[in-house]
Parts: sequence; C-alpha cells; structure tokens
Amino acid sequence: MAEDSFLTDDLLRQLINVGEVDILVGLPTHNNAKTIGSIVQTIQSGILRWFPRERAVIINADGGSRDGTPELVTGASIDDVRRGSNPYALRTLHSISTKYANSPAAPVAFRTILAAAELLQAKACVVMSPESSSVEDEWISKLLRPVRNDGFDLVAPTYRRHKFEGLLITNLLYPVTRALYGVRLREPYAQEFGFSGRLGGEFLTQNVWDDGSPGDGIELRFTLAAITTQHRMCQCFLGQKDHVEQRGADLVPALRQTVGPLFSALEPDFPFWSAVSGSQPLPTLGPEHEVLLDLVRVNRKRLREMFATGVAELAAVFQSILSPDTLAELQRIALLEENDFEYPAELWVKTVYEFAASYHKSVISRDHIIQALAPLFRGRALAFITEHRNGSAEDVENSIEALCLEFERLKPYLLEIWKSRE
Amino acid sequence: MPLNQDVLWYKDAIIYQVHVRTFYDSNGDGIGDFQGLEQKLGYLQELGINAIWLMPFFPSPLRDDGYDIADYNAVHASYGTLEDFRNLLNSAHSRGIRVIIEMVLNHTSDQHPWFQESRSSRDNPRRDWYVWSDTDNRYKGTRIIFLDTEKSNWAWDPISKAYYWHRFFSHQPDLNYDNPAVREQMWNVMRFWLEMGVDAFRLDAVPYLVEREGTSCENLLETHAILKELRRKLDEQFPGRMLLAEANQWPADLRPYFGEGDEFHMAFHFPLMPRMFMGLKLEDRKPITEILQQTPEIPSTCQWSLFLRNHDELTLEMVTDIERDYMYDAYAEDKTMRLNLGIRRRLAPLLDNDRRRIELMNGMLMSLPGTPIIYYGDEIGMGDNINLGDRNGVRTPMQWSGGWNGGFSTAEPDRLYAPLIQNPVYGYPAVNVLSQLGSGHSLLHWMQSMIAVRRSTAVFGRGSIEFLHPANHRILAYVRRLGNESVLVVNNLSGAAQAVELDLRRYKGNIPIEMSGRNIFPRVGDLPYLLTLGPYQFFWFRLRRI
Repeated sequence: MAEDSFLTDDLLRQLINVGEVDILVGLPTHNNAKTIGSIVQTIQSGILRWFPRERAVIINADGGSRDGTPELVTGASIDDVRRGSNPYALRTLHSISTKYANSPAAPVAFRTILAAAELLQAKACVVMSPESSSVEDEWISKLLRPVRNDGFDLVAPTYRRHKFEGLLITNLLYPVTRALYGVRLREPYAQEFGFSGRLGGEFLTQNVWDDGSPGDGIELRFTLAAITTQHRMCQCFLGQKDHVEQRGADLVPALRQTVGPLFSALEPDFPFWSAVSGSQPLPTLGPEHEVLLDLVRVNRKRLREMFATGVAELAAVFQSILSPDTLAELQRIALLEENDFEYPAELWVKTVYEFAASYHKSVISRDHIIQALAPLFRGRALAFITEHRNGSAEDVENSIEALCLEFERLKPYLLEIWKSRE
Repeated sequence: MPLNQDVLWYKDAIIYQVHVRTFYDSNGDGIGDFQGLEQKLGYLQELGINAIWLMPFFPSPLRDDGYDIADYNAVHASYGTLEDFRNLLNSAHSRGIRVIIEMVLNHTSDQHPWFQESRSSRDNPRRDWYVWSDTDNRYKGTRIIFLDTEKSNWAWDPISKAYYWHRFFSHQPDLNYDNPAVREQMWNVMRFWLEMGVDAFRLDAVPYLVEREGTSCENLLETHAILKELRRKLDEQFPGRMLLAEANQWPADLRPYFGEGDEFHMAFHFPLMPRMFMGLKLEDRKPITEILQQTPEIPSTCQWSLFLRNHDELTLEMVTDIERDYMYDAYAEDKTMRLNLGIRRRLAPLLDNDRRRIELMNGMLMSLPGTPIIYYGDEIGMGDNINLGDRNGVRTPMQWSGGWNGGFSTAEPDRLYAPLIQNPVYGYPAVNVLSQLGSGHSLLHWMQSMIAVRRSTAVFGRGSIEFLHPANHRILAYVRRLGNESVLVVNNLSGAAQAVELDLRRYKGNIPIEMSGRNIFPRVGDLPYLLTLGPYQFFWFRLRRI
C-alpha cells in the first residue's frame, strides 16, 4: 500500500482497469456469503435491466470475510472471458472487491466506496446492504434514476414496515432529524441509498474520517451532511425490507450506530440546525410509508422491567444527564403497571433533548450517555406498543406525526439547555 | 507489375470498392466511366490496394443503382463500351490490380427481356424462369428485407395476372433456380466475364436463390447445392478465380457458404462491422471480441472479408434489438439518417470527422483476420449527403480536387449524375485527393503508409488470432501469428489515455518493434507488460526474438 493512502495498490490497479463510469454500486460486506450471492445477482440484473447502456461497476469493500463473500461478488463481472455463464449485456460490467481490514468497519468501507466513486468519476452511486433478503432489481433503478435523470444528490429509501418495526427510527431518529434539521426524512439512517458523485466527492473531503468521531453510523453523517450543505434530496419507496437475520436485537450497539453519530453531528452542525424552524417535506417517489399490521408477540412485561430497573439502577447517571423534573417524571412512570404504562410524547422529547445536550457537554463519558438511553428507549417503545396494540395504520402514523410536531415544538427547549449548559 | 499468381491471392488483397459512375468522368457527360477509372488506376496503385471491386455496370433502368440488371452480357452505355471495360481490365492487371465485378444472381430487373417474356403469357417458354403464383400466400415465413418500401415479397403483375416473387424491390423479380435452364444461363453469364479476364465475382444476395414452403427461404440446402455447382465449374474451367459471397447472416449461418472449401472463397463478415462501431462508441471491446469468438473456423483456403462502410446503409440486421436501438441513438440521432434496418452514412461523418477514430477503425480493419475492403473516398474522409434519397447520399462523386466539380467531371454541374458534397466540412474544396497528396500528414498519406505496413507481412491476411484479455476492457489486444512471425496489436477504444497490463508471458524474451516507426520497445519479461496508449491510439508490434 502506498504511503498516506488508505487505498491499496491492488484496488488502484483494478480501478485503472474499470475507468470512468456512469454508475457505481457500493457493497460493504463482512461474512455475508449467505445473502450476498443473490443480492449481487439482483444488482447485476438491475444494472442490465435499467441501465444497459451506462458504464457501471460494482465495488465491494470487504472487511476481511472468511466465507468467500468477495469471490461471490467478483463472480458478477460480465466480460469477454467468461462467456458461457454471462447474461446478455451490451458492455463490460466490472465487479471488483477490495479487502480493507481484518475486521468490519463501516466508515472504512464507505470511505473506500466514496474514494472509488471519486477516482472513477461516477455520476450516480448507490450503496446496497449486504443483508437484505428482499432486495429487488428495481431498487437499483429507484435509487439511481433520481440522481441520474433528475439531478438529486441524495435518494433516501422508505419501506413498508410493520407498525412496531424500526421504533428507534420512528420514535427518535426521524423526529429528531426532522425537528432539528428541518427535513422530513423518514429513513435518516439508511443502508440502501443513492447519491450523486458530486455529493460523495464533497463528503470525502470533509474532516470526518480521521478524527475518530463518526465510528459506526457514517451513513447518517453522510445524510446530515447532505442536508446541511443543502444538496437536493428526495425519498423513494422501495417496498418491504427483510433481513435474513434481524439486526439490532442488542439495543446498545444500535444506539451507538445511530444516536451516537446523530448527537455527534449536532455539535458541528449547530449553526445550521439552530437556525432552522419547522420542517419541510421531501419530494417522494411512491408512498412515504406503508404499515403492516400483522399480529406480533412482544414481551411487554420484560420491556417494562428493563425500563423500571434501568431507571432505578442508573438514577445516579440520570442525575447528571436529566433535569430533576424529567427524572422525577421518569421515576413516576416506572412505577406504573404494565397495562397502564405510558411514556408521554412531551416527556420523551425532553428526555431525548436532555440526553443530546448532555452528550454535547460530555457531562459523563459519551458512550455511557448513549448506553444510559437504552432503558429509557425501551420504556418509550413499550408505551408506543401498548398504545397501538390495536391501532390502525392511520393511528400509528398520526401518533408518529404528533411526536414529530412535539419535537419541533420543544426545539427551543433544546436550544435553551444546549446554551445554558455551555 | 505482374499479378500475384498465388491462387490464394485474395488472402493478401486489399480491396477498393468503387462504382464506375462515381469515380471519374473522362468524357464530360457528368457520369463516371471505364476510361475515367482506367485513368485513375495510378492513384489506386499508389494508395497500395491490389484489387478493385466494381459495383454493377450492366445495362439497367438504375432503379436500384444497377442491382436491377437488364442485360448481363453488356455494359451500361453511360460507362462506355465492352472494349473500354476490357481496356480497364488489362490496365488494372498490368498494375498488379485484380478486378472483382458484381454478379446479381438472385434477381433481374423487371425490364430484363427474360422477365418481359416470362410475364407475357403463362405458356411462354421463359415463364418458369421466375417464381409465379396465383396467390400471395406462399412462403409466408419469409421476412421482408426492404421494410421501408415493400409490404410483401409478392407483387401483382397485371399483364399475366399473377403474383411474382421478389425478395428486394418489386421491380426486381427473383429468378427461379429450380429451373435448370436458369442455372445454366447464369453460369453462361459468369463464363462470359471470366473469359474476358475478370478475377472474381461478388455474388449478390446469395442466401435467397431457392424458395421452399415452410422455411425462411434463406440459406437453404438447395441454394448451397447450386452455389457449389457454380464453384465446381469455376475451379474446373477458371482456376485461381474467386467467389465472394454477399450474405448478410450470423456467423454460424454464414459458415455453410464456405462449405468444405468448395463453395465460396470469401464472405463478408456482416455482424462484425456494426460491432466495431458499437465497441468504439461504448469504449468497450466486448461487442467485437464476442462476435469474433462466435465466428466459426473456416477452411484454410477461405477468408473473411471485412469492411467499415460500403455503398449500402450500415446494416443493423445482424444485431439485437437493444444493440440496434443503441446504434441508432449513437450514430443516427437524426432519423433521416436511418434506412431500412441501418444507417446511411459514410465513415468520416459517422465518426464525427475525428481523425483519431478514423485511423483506429482503419487500423482494426486492417489487422483483424480477413481481407479489408476500403470504400471509395473513405481514404480521404469524404462526407455524405443525407438529403439525397435512398443510399445515394454515400454514392456522390469522388472528390479529386478543389476545382471545377471537384475534379470529377468537366460537365456543367447540373449534368452530374449526383451533386458533389458541398458543405464546409466535407465539401470538395476541403476534402479532396489533390490537397491531401500535398500534405504529408493527410489521411490519404496515412492510409497509404498503413496499407504498406499491412502488406509488408502476410500475417494479417493469413495468420491466426489469439485474443489477450487485459482487465482494462477499453483495450482490444490480440496477437496475429503465422509460422514464426507474431504481431501484437493493441487498440485503445477509448477517447481517454489508458494504461494496460498485457499477459505476454508466452512471448517472454521477444522484443516488440513498432511497425510504423520501427522503434523497439522494452523486451517482454515475466511481469505483465505495461503499455500506455493515448486516446484512440493503437500499436502494431512485430514480436522479434533476437
């Protein structure tokens, strides 16, 4: 590897062979052999079906897989050597892989993809999740066409979700992003998204890579950067998103990947979001959301116990983070019975804002702050599930909208405590 | 310069395609003629070609540029006399240039006396010389070739009150090759010209000679049997003469036209040509290598005939629908440039008059396996006139100078058979032989030098080809080999500079010598051989083990 470059010479050699492209598909992987074969085939089909004339490349940034993942990706190349198994294609399709480390590290993978896009002068790019089992070739078109044809710089997805799926997004990430940044972006932390080479190139030069701050959740920082630099954004409905293995079963890592980067971004972005009031809708292709109402079993008792235990055991930590009123209210609801349990929107908003301000102030270790949010989020999730056990799709959506408005209404409160704590 | 007596002369040939009418007018009547062409043989000899292919020059109503023949044993009066043709033939031979003429076997003009007799009554002795029917329902599985003008392969003849079969224009009735008298008569026609001394025939539209119900009426075994019989007679009576097939077919369907070396000597490789243009526009070798890899082996005495442009439209029959749409968008955005399933444009306008791309395409034409054909005027980068109907826009007078009528004719401009190209970019004041002869860096001089390099070795005409597959898909690289001689060809299909690593381990120890400048390059070693190429640049390296 050349000095002062995170790109390997091998990758550079492969990129020379690829040359300038119109479309780049980025695929971060780490031991995804179970799913990656079908995903790559779907990507290949999408390129051939929707962009048969464009110069395209699939770039796999692999974190040291030992299960043959890279080989499955490179097998999607279409060239004039392996003629027999190739599907019909007007032109060559390169599918290349580079190993960046011996462990998965999302920022390195994403940076590698952005660097490849920059070097190849890619005009439209898309990052695809290596885990989605429901990916369709049309997703490639939906995420790239707004960039390619309509001049958008970021295309975020929306999905058909179960009403209790993605509660971290619907109860925290979406409303906070919306209230603070003024953009009604349903999936601020997306694993599939399209973007322009222009946006990718600008983000690549930002000082977010070497300061260690982004950690996981670099995609969220990317989205927020698109907002603050006022690039053109839109949303696109992709349909149902399934995972082979449900991620996020462990809440704390999920919070570290999402809320951590969000809170981190609030500091450099303060001049931007502090000047924003209200929120604006984004152009959306297809429905903004679709809600599934199937019956699911949720262990509400355990959620309530984890919430109550957390409030009790972390009282000292919360005293550093939360205002006395908020803490007192939390301690009150921690005593409520399961069927009577509620976590009012205003209380939840104040909780989140006080956590954000404390994170900013670093009242204690920032990672401890993120960890401490876990039991409280469980409480909010319990309240949401309890409230909408029999709720319709409309009820759920109205509730999310009301929560968003509450975050917007109380934004001055965040500004107040943000400054006061400074 | 005597003619090369090798019976495989066509493998080493560089053919120049020209229509007598278009080349040079010696008598000032506005139409090119045999004497005019004879006067310009020195130019062609200097260019370096060693065969000319003359488009039809027979008596004809000229409703299809002479492919509608009304008399096979004479020449059109506009072009001169049979004696003039003999003189042209002899002069060409004396300069080492062979002469290939057209022979339209499949059909005649409806003005041909044979057809006039055939239609005159149902019991005329020549009635069965053409394909007649009381209905237009026969041979339903047969495609229509000239989609823009014809609705059916049958045409109603009001005189004999029956339908006659025609695969091309309705004024070109197909001959009935099931009739032995027709087969005999057409051989007599060929013999007439062979005895005069012509070296080869380009046999037009050969897949369509025979019709059979329930088939596509193309490439039938019966057709091949007829062609084999013609070849047998040719070899017996006129050894060393050559047959070139015009069969616009896929390679696998073309292969039978070579037989076991007992049918055609040569055949046009129609599918390759559009893919060369496609590869250039895509900046991707894939279309080119794929079609060549699909091209079957042919008998050792046979040869492919390669071309970039000719008198017809750039045919897109042998491409997929997706490829055709791409080609239209890439090369004929203006729909008036499209004709039938093709693009009626010349080489230089197709390539935006980009000298680098013109050179690259000619470089590939002359280095891929086969015998190259250069269409008249393309050696100086002539343009076209899409405002002229049909394919006439690519059949305008040769531009010899910037003077009166471009040096083509002394006639009043209004009398010319077709107007000269006059636009500022391609018009005769800007693009002509005289000015290019005076410029050492002109396209004409470049073509002369490339032809000389091509003719300096038999490897291009007779050698095998081995494709290299560098990871850089913009680079088309191959090695041509013949005996101990090896030539490495590297083409950059891209408009940007490229780096490429070639796996030349098989040639380890060889010294590449660039064939135009004769400069030596670093010796081939164990490591991948690194080359950098400028936009659309190409190299021919002789690989020498010294």
